[in-house]
Amino acid sequence: MNQDIHIPALARVEGEGALTIRLKDGAIDEILLNIYEPPRFFEGFLHGRYFQDVPDITARICGICPVAYQMSSVQALEAALQVTISPMVRVLRQLLYCAEYIESHALHIYLLQAPDLVNHESALTLAAEAPELVKQGLRLKKIGNELLKTIGGRSVHPVNTCVGGFYRWPSEQAIHGLIPELEWARQASIDTVKWAATLSYPDFEQAYEFVALNRIEEYAIYDGDILSSNGKRISPQEYEKYYVETHVERSNALHSHTTDNRTYFVGPLARFNLNYKKLRPMAKEAARGIGLKVPLLNPYKGLLARAIELVHTCDLAIELANLYQPNGPSHVEFSIQPGEGCGVSEAPRGLLYHRYVVDEQGFIRFARITPPTAQNLAQMESDLWALAPTVINQPQEEASITFEHLLRSYDPCISCATHFLKLKIVTE
Amino acid sequence: MNQYTDGASSEDSGTIKIIGIGQSLRGDDAAGLEAVRLWQERHQANIERQNLQVELTELPVIGLLNLLEGTRTVILVDAVHSNAKAGTIHLLSEDQLESFSNGSGSAHGWGVAETLSLGRKLMPSTMPEVLLLIGIEAGDLSLGESLSPDVEKALPEVVHLIEQLVTRSFFL
Repeated sequence: MNQDIHIPALARVEGEGALTIRLKDGAIDEILLNIYEPPRFFEGFLHGRYFQDVPDITARICGICPVAYQMSSVQALEAALQVTISPMVRVLRQLLYCAEYIESHALHIYLLQAPDLVNHESALTLAAEAPELVKQGLRLKKIGNELLKTIGGRSVHPVNTCVGGFYRWPSEQAIHGLIPELEWARQASIDTVKWAATLSYPDFEQAYEFVALNRIEEYAIYDGDILSSNGKRISPQEYEKYYVETHVERSNALHSHTTDNRTYFVGPLARFNLNYKKLRPMAKEAARGIGLKVPLLNPYKGLLARAIELVHTCDLAIELANLYQPNGPSHVEFSIQPGEGCGVSEAPRGLLYHRYVVDEQGFIRFARITPPTAQNLAQMESDLWALAPTVINQPQEEASITFEHLLRSYDPCISCATHFLKLKIVTE
Repeated sequence: MNQYTDGASSEDSGTIKIIGIGQSLRGDDAAGLEAVRLWQERHQANIERQNLQVELTELPVIGLLNLLEGTRTVILVDAVHSNAKAGTIHLLSEDQLESFSNGSGSAHGWGVAETLSLGRKLMPSTMPEVLLLIGIEAGDLSLGESLSPDVEKALPEVVHLIEQLVTRSFFL
């Protein structure tokens, strides 16, 4: 490449982002990842709202991972209001989270990242060559959406989650009725892992600091302590002591660092590396079957970690669906009191932190939301710098594609801004 | 009747489906949702008619495919951006559009055209024979729950257009 690269709109990532790479005297001078991420606006929007409105409002931050926003927000508010949920609510929330992992991972694996790894421009061209493969991805995604809809009432922005539990129990019959489809999905996920292992991944490894939730007894998704690959384990309440966001002039999204100014990496690769031992036996077997070992240090292979998590969450969903037995109230009663609380869960794309201050009447006085993509942005830029020297001699177009592939491997969720259609009318 | 539905179900046998798309917290982005809601209010009787279904959906992503499946005629109502005056109403058929792509890429770059194209490739027999888009030119897309005056003013005309199309389709 002999001139600056400017990618005004990154394709196949969620939301709007641009990448500019400037050259000076034949060397990379500047790498600017410019992203418009709206959660900051949502934080202002939440101010003065009634606490029970928060799960539904935050669910609208993202059309792909609304459950994550609901799960982190209800946990934060339940901590603030000192509410303890029932064990069956926890089962159902975990099942809801499985639904989101299935639909989100299927989308990213089959429709967003796979085309890059098989040299296709998009899933459209891939569908022409391998229709059955894309159909499998779409069916997996649909099963996740069906489960999400059965529990959450809607499959895009679910509305059933509330502080204290759920507004209503979904019918036992409806949940159990999905088990055969989930069994199909589990087998399809195992096949996905085998297929994913045949793809050709660029050779690129970095010494990352991975950060993910961790629990002693299970592969942490819904809740847990925050564990770093440098060995540090902290409680959710300590998050802001160790991880900070700073404003970067060129970007609407804040960039996260550790307090001693190191970048870190959240998401499937972090979870897989830190929690491998906690994966369900079937998922571990799938990983062993393709010779996957920790640590996995290639960001492109996040796809493999996602595929393994797909097996894990399908298998877990079957167990939770079988366990599901609604009895008693679907949400606990509690009195409103002023308080502050935080909640952390693992969105499909990584750690999602929420903190709220609630006043004596239940209105939100402060809100902080730190999404996974904001935490990964500094790491993504750091990777671009590491990748750049190998790309600089490529032709311009090829270089652009190489950078885009790397960014897409992170599955950046540049959360939903507006979705309006950009119209281009053909006139003859 | 303002019940939300979404892209997860496909077991419909309806031959005409009206799909209102939008985000209710994004100003004029909700124009499609609001127009279909208003049509529902004003033409309740039509909803009872056989073979007519109404869907209100926020960010349907690739799930739009499931909404399109098994329906002969689809009328999509959505906010659009084409640099026309806010509140301008566009009525377009599938072949008039080079790109129906999502502005924000909220669906990871999957817009209506891409979704339809994927559907036509993978499950051609289940995709709609006729797809029409009623686009309402958006003005203010900032965070909030209300429409801008220009878009609000356009809604009755959109309602009229929906009713006209629905009625006409019954005679096709």
